Amino acid sequence: MLSTSVRVTSRVASKMAPMAIAARGMATEKQLFQQINSTKNIMKITSSMKMVSAAKLKGDENRLYAARPYNKWAETISGDSTPMEDEVEFANIPDNALIVPLTSDKGLCGGINSFISRGARTMCAKLDADGKKSSLVVVGDKGRSQMRRMVGEKIVSAATEVQTPYSFDLAAAITAEVLAAGNDYSAIVILHNKFVNSATYIQEYKVLSPMESTGDSEALVSYEFEPDIKNEVLEDLSEYLLCSQLYHAMMEAAASEQSARMAAMENATKNAGEMVDALTLQYNRARQARITTELIEIISGASAIEG
Amino acid sequence: MFVSRLSSRASRPVVARLMSEAAAPSGNLVINFNLPHSTIYDSKEVSSVIIPGLAGEYGVTAGHSPIVSQMKAGVLQILHTDGGDAEKYFVPGGFALSHENSVTDITCPEAVPLDDLDVSSITSAFADAKKSYDSAEDGSEAKAEAQIDMEVNRAMAAALGTTIA
Repeated sequence: MLSTSVRVTSRVASKMAPMAIAARGMATEKQLFQQINSTKNIMKITSSMKMVSAAKLKGDENRLYAARPYNKWAETISGDSTPMEDEVEFANIPDNALIVPLTSDKGLCGGINSFISRGARTMCAKLDADGKKSSLVVVGDKGRSQMRRMVGEKIVSAATEVQTPYSFDLAAAITAEVLAAGNDYSAIVILHNKFVNSATYIQEYKVLSPMESTGDSEALVSYEFEPDIKNEVLEDLSEYLLCSQLYHAMMEAAASEQSARMAAMENATKNAGEMVDALTLQYNRARQARITTELIEIISGASAIEG
Repeated sequence: MFVSRLSSRASRPVVARLMSEAAAPSGNLVINFNLPHSTIYDSKEVSSVIIPGLAGEYGVTAGHSPIVSQMKAGVLQILHTDGGDAEKYFVPGGFALSHENSVTDITCPEAVPLDDLDVSSITSAFADAKKSYDSAEDGSEAKAEAQIDMEVNRAMAAALGTTIA
């Protein structure tokens, strides 16, 4: 949230840097006037971006509120998500896991992508320390460029330039992408932002273990299967479960992204407004100084003629 | 054998979770029937549901033994507690999971009320699917997709009491 508003303002500031130096000596009125106008223009952009995000957030929230009950069955099977907290140990992630961090393609939305990238880095580092292997399939362009720097050697593939708003079809396509990355992983971990309210989001991960049809770790032992070919039904079920979980995670991520963008743009607009006020004050001072100088020139000229 | 299976690592969270969720106080069946894009029934008490399983239709009432079933394209019927006619939905496939605590989760990517289906558009969609099925290369992905398309349309027509070939 903060980083974006800082970025926007720093962009404004960089345009003004030579001016600020000139102002200390003697900024011309014209320069100040131009500066005020350009800042006002940026303010218009950020405030309309805020309004666009607010409108989109409504849609994202509605989709999320439908996705939550839809995904309940999957949570019954694979258990609750784990929030990413400082002391989290990732004990529930087995060796050789495939981590799927969900990030966005577009920026200007505060820290949501950085939080996910940093979370993925922490997760990988901790798993490495425990002697567990891990791989990544990254969703979203922002996350890909950040994670390429941090944990580049672990990335096996990335899905970018995905269509918004996210749909179930897209979740199915990403599921296929994840499954194509290899099916010999011991678990799939989805790392995403969870929407709490329009001002808050947290990072969470879900661990989806493969469902064995036989052996010690047989899944859903107390259940009958219809048709009575457990391994085939389980295979279809686990793919569908991954799709459902991904869809839900994507909806959480989309709503978080939009709310973060809204807050970031609101901050940027506020900062630009403050800057316009400060510049206007400077402009008025410069104007007053010019008038005073002109008056002194006229008066001293007149008194020279009289004298 | 059974005990050791129950205490095995993978199944523990599932079992623990199912135990912790209370069944409906009134002894009715509780269903969760939701689509990705909309909520149809979330924790709704009903009398029973009839599920179009891949291995045949079957009914679920409260206290049904735990079962995971794959659904085929067909009609899902919900019988409400207040009696009356069954509410019918067409589902293109999916899964139905009946848990120990009389909760049944029905999950599928799409479902429509049977009344919203239109025979003439189904017939034309079937004809289109058949055309692309015939023109597609043997063993190709397009062929398989067209075949699924045909089967779903045929099932939709059958649900409305029409037979198309």
